[in-house]
Amino acid sequence: MGTGGEAWGWLGLAGGVAAAFGLMSWLARLAGLPIQYNLRNVVVRWRSSVATVLGIAAVVAVFVALRAMARGIEASSASTGDPDNLLVVRKGSQAESGSLVTREQFRIIESFEGLARNAAGRPVISAEVVAIISSARSQGPGEANALVRGVTASGMELRPQVRLVEGRWFEPGRREVVVARSLSRRFRDFGMGGEVKAGRARLRVVGHFDGGGSAFDSEAWMDADEARAVFDREPYSSLLMRPTDPAAAKVLAARIEGDRRFSLRAENEVEYYSKQTMTAKPIKYIAAVLGVAMSVGAVFAAMNTMYASVAARTREIGTLRVLGYSRRAVVACFMVEGACLSAAGGLLGCGLARFTNGLATGTLDFQSFAETVFQFRVTPDLMGLGLAFAVAIGLAGSLLPALRAARTPVISALKSA
Amino acid sequence: MTTWTFILKNALRNPRRSVLTVSSVAVSAALLTSMMTLQRELTVPPESEGASLRIIARNKVSLVQPLPARQLAEIERIPGIVAVTPFTYFGGQYNDEEFTSFAQFAVEPRRFRSLLVEGRVSGGDYDAWEKDRTSCMVGRDTMKRYGLKVGDRMKFRGTFYPCDLDLRIAAVFEGTVDDRGVFFHHKLLDELTGDLGTVGTWYLRVESAEKVPGVIAAIDGRFANTAAEVRAESERAFQMGFVGMLGNVAALIRTVNGVIVFTLALVSASTMSMTIRERFREMAVLKALGYKRRDLLGFILAEGFGLSALGGAVGIGGAWAAWTLLDIQRLTGGIFIVFEVTPRIMATAGVVAALLGIVASLGPAISVGRMSVVSGLKTLD
Amino acid sequence: MNTPPPPTSTKKDPIVRVRSLSKVYRQGDIDVTALNAVSVDIQPGEFVALMGPSGSGKSTLLHIVAGIDRPTSGEVEVQGINVGNLDESDLAEWRNQYVGFVFQSFNLIPVLTAAENVELPLMLTRLGRAQRREQVRAALELVGLGDRMHHRPDQLSGGQQQRVAIARALVTDPVLVVADEPTGNLDAKSATDVLGILASLARDAGKTVIMVTHDPKAAAYGTRSLHLEKGEIVP
Ligand SMILES: Nc1ncnc2c1ncn2[C@@H]1O[C@H](COP(=O)(O)OP(=O)(O)O)[C@@H](O)[C@H]1O
Ligand SMILES: [Mg+2]
Repeated sequence: MGTGGEAWGWLGLAGGVAAAFGLMSWLARLAGLPIQYNLRNVVVRWRSSVATVLGIAAVVAVFVALRAMARGIEASSASTGDPDNLLVVRKGSQAESGSLVTREQFRIIESFEGLARNAAGRPVISAEVVAIISSARSQGPGEANALVRGVTASGMELRPQVRLVEGRWFEPGRREVVVARSLSRRFRDFGMGGEVKAGRARLRVVGHFDGGGSAFDSEAWMDADEARAVFDREPYSSLLMRPTDPAAAKVLAARIEGDRRFSLRAENEVEYYSKQTMTAKPIKYIAAVLGVAMSVGAVFAAMNTMYASVAARTREIGTLRVLGYSRRAVVACFMVEGACLSAAGGLLGCGLARFTNGLATGTLDFQSFAETVFQFRVTPDLMGLGLAFAVAIGLAGSLLPALRAARTPVISALKSA
Repeated sequence: MTTWTFILKNALRNPRRSVLTVSSVAVSAALLTSMMTLQRELTVPPESEGASLRIIARNKVSLVQPLPARQLAEIERIPGIVAVTPFTYFGGQYNDEEFTSFAQFAVEPRRFRSLLVEGRVSGGDYDAWEKDRTSCMVGRDTMKRYGLKVGDRMKFRGTFYPCDLDLRIAAVFEGTVDDRGVFFHHKLLDELTGDLGTVGTWYLRVESAEKVPGVIAAIDGRFANTAAEVRAESERAFQMGFVGMLGNVAALIRTVNGVIVFTLALVSASTMSMTIRERFREMAVLKALGYKRRDLLGFILAEGFGLSALGGAVGIGGAWAAWTLLDIQRLTGGIFIVFEVTPRIMATAGVVAALLGIVASLGPAISVGRMSVVSGLKTLD
Repeated sequence: MNTPPPPTSTKKDPIVRVRSLSKVYRQGDIDVTALNAVSVDIQPGEFVALMGPSGSGKSTLLHIVAGIDRPTSGEVEVQGINVGNLDESDLAEWRNQYVGFVFQSFNLIPVLTAAENVELPLMLTRLGRAQRREQVRAALELVGLGDRMHHRPDQLSGGQQQRVAIARALVTDPVLVVADEPTGNLDAKSATDVLGILASLARDAGKTVIMVTHDPKAAAYGTRSLHLEKGEIVP
């Protein structure tokens, strides 16, 4: 994720908030009353104002935090891979763990033209084995699945976004494993020097790497051939390769997919990962359902507050009307007040949700069937969405009370106590 | 007039507000009920009578790691076992659906029969399935969901296995906790994959619940220090293992529930204090007429309790009705199956709503109690 | 109960006996003396008009006598009961039995009908439903509103509302009726009606009525006038 993009996002958010405030001031001007008048009314009825603001804040915080969670899962998929790479998996497989590429297929494809070559003159291609191990969690009882990837020497070369941050890389031919640092926090045995059990085999943790927020942050890497031995697997799971250029990539992909012996699928690595976001879907679904349901409750609460405000100010409204303020002005006046309350709630809610930003957590990925670690990502656009959501709640909650205020007859307004 | 008429008239004094208050409590209570149900669905797998008798044995490496088929003979020799069958998750995509929510398992029908403890065959014929290698037995829910009948074909694309399935429906089962699965011949899978000599897991039935721990220990021990070590678990423990894999989801739901309760408290507290503060003067008059603090406290609590209890009843009842009447399986694309709103959940949500009503009225009740008649009479004067 | 010093010579025993009653409000550093050592006796059946300029302490005196406010010092006895010795809860019961209130702004409960408003103080007694209904009807008939039993306050005129309030004050058959500017919010005709009822309460029903008023014409209905000035009774 480019921080530059994020900076623009913040700028956009600031602009949006400014525009919203401008709109509110304009509405207030339409009412012909200084916005201070509305603000003071909000402050005077502070008890119910505080309750409304907190209520809306809670709704917005839940909504934004859940979306931030889904966003985190999506972000880790979206930021995985290199656009220059081609990933080859079995046709019909949904995840690498369910894919098969035989050693013979590997040997044939390795010799295809169009593959980039490294300094040693070898084609840049990695045949990989993806397996799952069940291992003890670091916190609490129970076990969780962790994804183990067996890679060949080119594997690291093909993934420049993965950086060793502690210890060293595994040595080929040894039962050693290098674990993503963020994943290592979630399993008991994944610390430096730890011994990871894979059935009867023991894997020693010799290093930690940083996947740069990608899906690799949920993986543990070891030597591909050792992995085949440990997991008792003849074939590989997938092939990752670097064609010389995009044109060569196209030709290569067409050749692999067209070969009837194979039944393989070749896809740009970035595109492949960007589609692995199924786990985010139910979370988004829950965020939407909760957001709508909770906002209905918040609208009722806001309506209560605004109706009470209207009722308590009947005389005042009458006076304004006598002074020559139009019905429209009265409506605008109350709408502005509702918008102020909800904007405050929205800001507070976004602020609360922002605390979850960067919070690392993990859950079972439905596709890889292993623990996926990700961070809550409260991005500016999500906060903008939360604010817009809050203002919508406020406007919905104040419309009916405002209309009621406008219907107040001038005379009865003056008579009522 | 009775005291109750008085309280009722007070509660309905501002009908719009009462409706709004009751509705907001109702929405929150419905949400709370639903979220607790969701939490239960995710963390408490459905229990069944047969589960206590069944054992699942998987590769110690992980569930995904296959086991050698030759283990069967050794497992069969362990005393106390009624039946054992290979049990292999196929993970197919039905009819090119993006997400297939029901599972398909390769089993040995002859051995599988006695594992179907609580289930029964309600359509077609088990023997017909057992005889036809290319046929399958399908759960009633899946039959219903896709409008299938015995004799129809089901096609699956293998996402884990490099082969596709084309199965004829020979039998239908129901009565298990999850009537969605599709079962087919392991022999067929072996044929299609070129006989890998592996199975996914072993699924066993033990003579009696008391023998389960012994059988588990025997299986684990038998394959210790072999190339494929085995982890045997009761079916219940196996399911709970899945819950553990979900990670922090339960904590997350609990947090959301907390926020909902907080919001609920806030809304009702603010409404109650609004309602009572407007009546300070009347409360002072009642005091002057001889009503005591505890009488007024009673009025206020009864009103707050009544409104929130009504809201709670509407919300909880609504959630119950919705989740009971709606086809939750279809609605969530089969992610959730039971989604049962248990009496315990309803009681919890009800207690929360009612308690909140009382807590929310405590604040205004205390200030009314503290208020002197004279100062109360002066308000808004 | 400690026996108060024997009263100064009066024919009958006074029903209300006020002894050096003071009320001081502390406002920050300043003390506001609302009542300064007021002593007064009121006989049964008297209709006392309490007069004086605004802020002279009339309401304060009335409130303390009626047991809804507490003095800073001094004593109030009503029918031999020292009101100051009663705790919150006993005082509430005492008010219910001994005192009827009439306020300037009626203070009826808007959601209740006239009959229900009048019934409110009876709800605290042990009376049965039928008996309560009978007493409510009698009280409303006494104030001439027997035909308005089921109207809500907003369906009644100001004068009618104040008569409902009087009925509510009478319904428990208290010995003492207190009224704080009961005609302050009424037109002349309604005021005359209300004053007539209050006067007849004292004259015919033997109630003791204490009424705060600014209006000398209203005071003329009373059997006696008391004048307060700066918290003291002036002759
Ligand atoms: N709650 C209070 N706090 C401070 N001063 C008060 C309070 N109530 C009354 N007073 C003061 O006591 C004095 C007497 O008040 P009150 O008995 O209401 O007068 P009246 O009824 O004769 O107009 C006034 O000076 C008033 O300002
Ligand atoms: Mg006064």
